[in-house]
Amino acid sequence: MNCEEFERSATLYSYEELLPSETEAVERHAAECPNCREKLEQARRLHNLLGQRASRDATPELLVRCRQALEASLDREQFGWRRLLTDWMPLHPSRAAGTLTVIALAFGLGWMLRARSSNMQPSAKPAANQASMAGIDLGRISNVSQVAPDPGENKVFITVNAEHHVTLEGSVENPRIRQILLNAMRNYDNPGIRLDTLAALKSQSTDPAVKSALLNALGHDPNPGVRLEALRCVQAMDWGPSVEGALIEAVEQDSNSGVRVAAIDELVNHVLDERDEALLPALRKFAGQKSNAYVRMKAISALQTFEGAR
Amino acid sequence: MDGACLELKQNAKAPIKDDLVLVGRAQAGDRVAFEALVRLYDRDVLRLTLRMVGSAEDVADLYQEVFLKVYRSLHRFRFQSSFSTWLYRVVVNVCLDHLRRQGRKMEVQGPGSEDDQPEFFQTVAEDRAALDPERQLQAKEIDGRLNEALKGLSPRERMVFELRHYEGLRLRTIGELVGASEDTVKNCLFRATHKLRAELVDLI
Repeated sequence: MNCEEFERSATLYSYEELLPSETEAVERHAAECPNCREKLEQARRLHNLLGQRASRDATPELLVRCRQALEASLDREQFGWRRLLTDWMPLHPSRAAGTLTVIALAFGLGWMLRARSSNMQPSAKPAANQASMAGIDLGRISNVSQVAPDPGENKVFITVNAEHHVTLEGSVENPRIRQILLNAMRNYDNPGIRLDTLAALKSQSTDPAVKSALLNALGHDPNPGVRLEALRCVQAMDWGPSVEGALIEAVEQDSNSGVRVAAIDELVNHVLDERDEALLPALRKFAGQKSNAYVRMKAISALQTFEGAR
Repeated sequence: MDGACLELKQNAKAPIKDDLVLVGRAQAGDRVAFEALVRLYDRDVLRLTLRMVGSAEDVADLYQEVFLKVYRSLHRFRFQSSFSTWLYRVVVNVCLDHLRRQGRKMEVQGPGSEDDQPEFFQTVAEDRAALDPERQLQAKEIDGRLNEALKGLSPRERMVFELRHYEGLRLRTIGELVGASEDTVKNCLFRATHKLRAELVDLI
């Protein structure tokens, strides 16, 4: 082995990627050549230096964020047009052309109707099995079962299997849209969707049903991220007994320290900003608690500030 | 593909044999099984992408890209290699594409500002052993130098280096993951360490 060959092998030697015979040759050359011995030592030092690079494990927050976003993407994937194409067509190749024709027909009809339609809100008088054409995402229609033109009225009725493949479009101020969101918040088991629903409903917290749903999410949603987001929504509400009760309950009972901390912060800010003496008994109770040091210290500090300002 | 060579740092609660059961169920359309599979490997995927990319936003996007690709093409997995090897190949390709795109962007925009640094450090779990402020500062400086030096490598050199040095994969396995011969991978590793030595010569 000469010095040039040695330099190349020194890297592989430090990663133990040489055959036994090559390893032996490297060691023999290093023993004979001081320059190459120094190069080998340098390779070892570089190896150790690179080992000092900080760990790159993800924080739990990043992990949770990634998982929630993936769940939402998988929902879209599972019930979206891509699923239709990838699942259905390979299984039923003979029907593929027919399906595309029907979808293209539906799309064409919808495009014409969409151009004529001036009302983009969902139908004001919805029948149980009828939806406004404008509210349906035509790209997701999976099964057109009947097309019934009505030339007299210049209309056409397209019956579709709408399950899982309908996108309703409308303002969150529309009662039907709001009802769908409220149902999703209560019943949907995907926390990512519940989180998005909260964000959509946040601006409607003056509506009693929305307010009740947001307070319920703060107290009872199984996912701490959703409860924390619900707490942020509650912060934007007008203060009242129900808000106060929900925050106190969160401090006392929530299993997640992040939610407890955010709740006590909100209560303390309210007491100090509004000089609200009605909350002092609750703060005194928290000041005596031993289970959560942050809550106890925050309550003690707020009480001292409050008393000092008297 | 020698799946045994690829030793991912798996969750101890989930033995490797279980992942093939999950893959089978996921291929049959079981969404819960697919999500269990994701949870089995996503820390490994995040760790590698964090090493390769650094920015939390980019990492979150790559995480999505990797697992959506896996979801869409899982029916093509034929159990001829270990699932982790197959998954890593997807991760490697997604990261390489990202680095190439990033490289082109960097050529246009020039080097990023130091403002990028805090976001990166907030993304990375705190190392409790380095809580001594002096040591922490020194470690942070060295870490910054190492990251800068690594940015000087080409996407493929960077990937080979990360997989060998930090993930501990053998060069033969890395060759299979990046679609190159073992000799090519050896050359990559040699060039990478040569460049790193030149950049970090004052520290060694």
